Amino acid sequence: MTTIGWIFMTVSLVFVWGLALWCYRRVLRD
Amino acid sequence: MSGKEEQWGTRFGVILAVAGSAVGLGNFLRFPGTAANNGGGAFMIPYFVALLLVGIPVGWAEWTMGRYGGRKGFHSCPAIMGVIGRGAVARYFGVLGLLIPCVVYMYYGIVESWCLQYAWAFATGGIGLAGDATTMATQSGEYFASVSGTDADGRLDGQASTVLVWLAIIGLNAWFVWRGLTGGIEKFCQWAMPAMAVCAVIVLVRVLTLGTPDPTRPELNVSSGLGFMWNPDFTALGNAETWLAAAGQIFFSLSVGFGVIVNYASYVKKKDDIVLSGLTASATNEVFEVGFGGLITLTAAFVFLGAAGATGSTFGLGFNTLPVVFAHMGPLGNFIGALWFFMLFLAAITSSLSMLQPVKAFLQEALGWTANRSVVAVVAFTAVGSLWNLHYTKDLVALDTMDFWVGTGAIFVLATVQVIYFGWVFGLERGMVEAHHGAKLRIPRVVGFVIKYVAPVYLLVVFVAFCWQTLDVRIAALVDNPVAGYTVGIIGVVLVVLVVVTRIGEKRWRAAGLDLDGQRPPEEDTA
Repeated sequence: MTTIGWIFMTVSLVFVWGLALWCYRRVLRD
Repeated sequence: MSGKEEQWGTRFGVILAVAGSAVGLGNFLRFPGTAANNGGGAFMIPYFVALLLVGIPVGWAEWTMGRYGGRKGFHSCPAIMGVIGRGAVARYFGVLGLLIPCVVYMYYGIVESWCLQYAWAFATGGIGLAGDATTMATQSGEYFASVSGTDADGRLDGQASTVLVWLAIIGLNAWFVWRGLTGGIEKFCQWAMPAMAVCAVIVLVRVLTLGTPDPTRPELNVSSGLGFMWNPDFTALGNAETWLAAAGQIFFSLSVGFGVIVNYASYVKKKDDIVLSGLTASATNEVFEVGFGGLITLTAAFVFLGAAGATGSTFGLGFNTLPVVFAHMGPLGNFIGALWFFMLFLAAITSSLSMLQPVKAFLQEALGWTANRSVVAVVAFTAVGSLWNLHYTKDLVALDTMDFWVGTGAIFVLATVQVIYFGWVFGLERGMVEAHHGAKLRIPRVVGFVIKYVAPVYLLVVFVAFCWQTLDVRIAALVDNPVAGYTVGIIGVVLVVLVVVTRIGEKRWRAAGLDLDGQRPPEEDTA
């Protein structure tokens, strides 16, 4: 995989996992 | 209207139920293929744009419409659309919100039975693949044909194993819906969603640790497998079809325009949050799609079979190619295969439950039937339709026809109609106020602009392009293939039945003094 491929994959995964974890943290906090 | 009002037991319950409805086979099989064919990593740019411009905003609009309709005493899409759109035209457009789950269920239950048969076969020793890759591919195709009957119509008639598994699936779905929202759907999704995640993590770890399984072909390794999916091709961004594919993927993946979110949200109390819940359900779907689907499917196929093996249709990839991949995995292959197909089965059943519930709720409120009687009726009605798909299996023409006209086309229409009625008839300001009752999160103001202007234009453009690309071929297919033509006829019969029942319901709701045309002023929205 190319470097730019790794970057796209990492950014996408960080975005979806980050969004989900942020949401569930908020849900649990409330 | 329907006796004791049902409600979700917990906030987690409704989030997981909506997420369960959204997560399906498309997350694991359709998404990676679509991404790889449309620019790989670069596809994620239009994909996330579509998520932010269409998926999440339209989802919020649906949650809001559903909860508002629930406060008016309605749980079915036609009734809720009548309230939001203030009249009969919107109400009858809302019938699409029943047609879609009803017809899609007629083939989804069958696909579910394939998943379970595959899971069982792998758990008990595999599907009998041996020899070189080409031989195994042939054997795998033959096995799929024996399970699905794709080689000839009527192949499954009297084939006890397939029919019994399908009947068991129908019974299982019916049982969960029979047990009600909290005792059935919610409880099952609270168990099934984490179970799916566990299965996905195990399969993912195995796939990412495959290394270079064939030393004679060092180019086939995990890194290049991931590259097959993720290496960006920026030229694809200049192609309208890429943006169309991204919008379509987001759209079908999140279950917007399906008639399900409206129904599920109608059981949420006014004081309960829907903004954070809606976002959390969408985020959960994205984790399964991008986080698991984007890493597992094509990587596994590429590592063993190369680029040629990692392409194909949704069903081809899932039921023909991946079994060959599992056979290559050695002793652990059957275990991984069983986990994978069991995960697909869970993904499918959490979606199919969400298809029965809206129609059950509709029968309850339109005809005044009890919950149990409604469950029996909807299960029997959809089972009759499924028999058509169980008999006419050659090349999956009947299934594909239902999927195209209802599972794809009608969804576009309903989502577009819903977002226009929400933004322009119900009123954006009123909609935003309604959405924020009990909200644990503020919707950014720009989302209002997106819902009112951007999403309808986006959806209309995508819909016109979709029709432009596919309609002439599909209409020709109806003439050329009688099975396709008759399948559309069956869809028409289902539509007529639903319209007639809506008409009956309309009279009942009017007689009961309900605000079925949404005429009462907003200050009375506190019922």
